[in-house]
Amino acid sequence: MIAIRGLCKRYGGVAALSDCDLEIASPGIYGVIGPNGAGKTTLFDVITGLTEPDSGTVLLDGRRLTGLSPHRLARMGIARSFQECRVFPEFTCLENLLFGARGTHDEALRLLELVNLQGYRDEPAASLSFGQRRLLEIVATFMLKPRILLLDEPASGVNPALLDLLLEFIRRMYHERPCLYLVVEHNMEFIMALAAEIVVMHQGAVLERGSPQAVQASPRVMQAYLG
Amino acid sequence: MLSAVLEQTINGLMAGSVYVLVALGMVLIYGVMHVLNFAHGVLLMVGAYACHFFFTRATGSYLLSILLSVVVLAVLGIALERAVFRPLQGNLRNQVIASLGLILVFENLVVALWGPNALQMQVPATASLVSVGELRFPVQHVLIIAATLLVVLLLFIFLKTSKFGTAIRATSQDRMAAMVVGIPVERIDWMTFGLGTALAALGGALIGPLFLVFPQMGDAPMVKGLAGILLGGMGSVPGAVLGGFIIGIAESVSTLFLPTDYRDSVAFSVMVLILLAWPRGIFGVQVRGED
Amino acid sequence: MRLALSLLLAVLLAVPFVAEKQPYLLHVLILCCLYAIPAVGLNLMLGYTGLVSLGHMAFAGVGAYTAAVLMVDARLGFWPALAAGVLAAGAAGAAIGAICLRFRTHFFMIVTLAFGLMLYSVMNNWDEVTRGAAGFPGIPRPAPLGSFSFGPLPNFYYLALGAAAAAFAVQWIVVRSGFGRVLVALRQDERLAQAKGVNTMLYKTAIFALGSAIAGLGGVLQVSFLRVAAPASFSLAESINAVLIVIVGGAGSLAGPALGALVFVGLPEYLRVAAEWRLVLFGVMLVLIVLFAPQGLAGLVKKARA
Repeated sequence: MIAIRGLCKRYGGVAALSDCDLEIASPGIYGVIGPNGAGKTTLFDVITGLTEPDSGTVLLDGRRLTGLSPHRLARMGIARSFQECRVFPEFTCLENLLFGARGTHDEALRLLELVNLQGYRDEPAASLSFGQRRLLEIVATFMLKPRILLLDEPASGVNPALLDLLLEFIRRMYHERPCLYLVVEHNMEFIMALAAEIVVMHQGAVLERGSPQAVQASPRVMQAYLG
Repeated sequence: MLSAVLEQTINGLMAGSVYVLVALGMVLIYGVMHVLNFAHGVLLMVGAYACHFFFTRATGSYLLSILLSVVVLAVLGIALERAVFRPLQGNLRNQVIASLGLILVFENLVVALWGPNALQMQVPATASLVSVGELRFPVQHVLIIAATLLVVLLLFIFLKTSKFGTAIRATSQDRMAAMVVGIPVERIDWMTFGLGTALAALGGALIGPLFLVFPQMGDAPMVKGLAGILLGGMGSVPGAVLGGFIIGIAESVSTLFLPTDYRDSVAFSVMVLILLAWPRGIFGVQVRGED
Repeated sequence: MRLALSLLLAVLLAVPFVAEKQPYLLHVLILCCLYAIPAVGLNLMLGYTGLVSLGHMAFAGVGAYTAAVLMVDARLGFWPALAAGVLAAGAAGAAIGAICLRFRTHFFMIVTLAFGLMLYSVMNNWDEVTRGAAGFPGIPRPAPLGSFSFGPLPNFYYLALGAAAAAFAVQWIVVRSGFGRVLVALRQDERLAQAKGVNTMLYKTAIFALGSAIAGLGGVLQVSFLRVAAPASFSLAESINAVLIVIVGGAGSLAGPALGALVFVGLPEYLRVAAEWRLVLFGVMLVLIVLFAPQGLAGLVKKARA
C-alpha cells in the first residue's frame, strides 16, 4: 500500500528525518513509537503534504504522493489528526463531523454516540473539555472514510477513564472498515494494546519493527529509549 | 555622473538612517512580543512634534529637546504596551487593528493640537554646510548618519553585553524558555516597547529640522522601515540595520534613472519581490509561529 | 428578524418623501451606503475568512478609475462602465490576491499594505490616464432609466440604497452557502480545513476577488456621486477606515458593515466637533472595541437582546 523511500528532512542543523524507509503492504493498525525528536510527526507532515521533504518519496499504491498539496492528498483518502488537537472551535460537534465528510448525517450521529458525545452534538467544540475535543477530532477523521489514517498521539490529554472508550472506538472503526492506520503514541500501554505491529523510529529513521512483544523485548529499542 | 551617484548615496544613507531607527524599534518589539506595530511611524511623528515643542517653547537647545522627546516617547510607548498591546497578547489580528486605531488617534490628535500645516524647526545644523569633495550637504545630514551609526553601535553592545540586552535576545528566541530560566518576560516586553518608541522618537527628532514636522511625516519611514525589516529577515536585528540602509540608498539612487514620483513604488515592488523570492528575508531567520 | 428587516427597508425607502426638505439627511445616508458597500467586501474577507487586508480601498479605486476612464474617455454609458469597474476590481483582486495569499498573518497584511500603496501611487502619478493627484473630474451621474433620472439627490439615494442592498444580499447568500461555511472554517483553522480536503488557496483567492469586486462597486458609485475620482479616496487612510468600519460594526456579522458605516458617517455629522477630533474619537473607539468588545456593535446588540 504505502512505500516510504529514503526520506530526508533537515531543519537548520537538525535532521528530523534521515533516510527513512518504511514499507507497509497490508491494512492494519500500526503503532509508531520512538523517543522525542525521532521524526514521527515530521513523517506524518511529509505524508500529508504539510512539509516538503529534502529528498525521498512517498508512494501510495505505486503513485507518488510527495509534491502534492495537502488538500489533494486529503481527497485521495489520507486523513490525519494533529498532535496539538485541531477542531473547528466555533462549529458544533455535528458540524465538525460533517465538514468535508464523506459519511452521512446519520453516521455522524452514530459515531458521536459511540464516544458519548451525543449530548453535545449542537454545542460548539470550544465548550468541550480537552479530552472530549480529542475524541471529536478523531471521530471526525473517520467521517472522511480514509484509505490511510494517521493519528498523532490520540491518547495524549485524554482522561484515563476515557482511554478504554477511545481504544474500543478505534478498534471498532477498524473492524467496520479495515484500512491502514498509523498511530503515533507515547502511551505504551495504549499503543501496545491497540496495534498489531509496532514501528520504532529513532534519529529520523526506522530502527525496528515487529509485534508489540518482540519490540518490547528488543535490546536496540531499549537502548534508543535510554539513549 | 559619479558625483551624482555619490550625492544620492549620501542622501540615501541619511534617509536610510531614519528607516533604520524605525526598523530597529519595530524589529525589537516584533522579536520580543510578536507584535507588528503599524503605529510605529506615527510615534516617530509624535517624537518630532515633541522635539519641536521642547525646542521652540521650552529649552531652545536642540540636543536637550532630542533627549526630552526620546524620554517622553519611551514613556508613551510603555503606556501603550501596558494599556493596549499586553491585554491583546497572542491575538495577532487584534493587535494590528489596535495599532491602526492608534494611527488614527495620534495623526489626528496632532492635527487637532497643532493644525494640519507643517511646522518649521530651524536648528543651526540645517543652515551650515559641509563639503564632501565638490558636493555640499547640510551638517544635519552628517549628524543624522553619525547619530544613527552611534546608536546602532551602542545598541549592539547593549544587546550583546548587558543583562537586559541578553534577556531581550533570549526572549526573542524562545519566550517560554526565557520564562523558564527566570527572565521576567513581561518586564522585558514593556522595556523593549519603550526602547523601540524611543528609537522612533530619535528618528523623528533628527529629520524634523530637515523635512519639516507634519502629521503624515511618519508614514513613509514606517513603510520603508518595514521593507527594510523584510529585506533583512523578519526578526533579525542586524538584518534590520542593513535592510534599512539598503532601502534608503536604493530608492535615492533610483531617482537618477526613474521618475521620483515612482520612488515609493520601487521600494514596495522590491519588497514584494524579495518576499516572494526569499520568504524569510535575504539574511533569513526562522520565526516561530509564522508559517 | 424578517419583519424588522422589511420595516427597516420601508423606512429607508420612505426617507426621501419624509425628508424632502432635508437634502442633508439624504446626503449622509448616501455616504453611509457608499462606505458600507466596500465594507461588505472587507467583512467577507476580514470578518468571515480572517484575512486582514490593509489595502482594500485601493481595489475600490481600481473599479472607480476603470469606470471613470470608460465613461469620460471612451464615452461608455454608466451601466456598462459600472459592470466593467466591478469586473476590473475583481480581476485585480484575483491577481493581486493570488500573490498576497502566498503569505500568512503579518506577512499577508504587509503585502496587502504594499500593493495598496502601489495602486494608490499609480492613481496619484499616472497623469495621462488618472489625471493624477488633482483628481479625475467630469464623471457623469448615471443616464436616466426611462424617465427616472439619477441627477436629483433622492433618486441617486435610491441607486445607492439599491447597490448597498445588492451588496448585503450577496453577503447573505455567500455566508449562507457551503462556500461561506468553508470561509468560516478557514478563519478558525486553515490547516485543519486543508487536512479535510479544502483547497484553501482557491477559496481565499475567490473571496479576495469577490471582496475586491464589491469594493469596486462602492468605488464606482462613489465617484459617480461626487463626480470626481480622487486618489485620496483610495489611500491607506481610507483602507484603515474600512477596517475601522468593519471592526466597529462587528466583523463576521451580516449587519456589521451597515452599523459600522452608520457610526462612521452618521455619528460625526451630528457631533459638532472638528473633523480631526472625530477621527481621534474613532481611533479610541477602535482600540476600545478590540480590547473590550471584539464582536463589535453587532455583538453588543446581540448580547443586549440575549
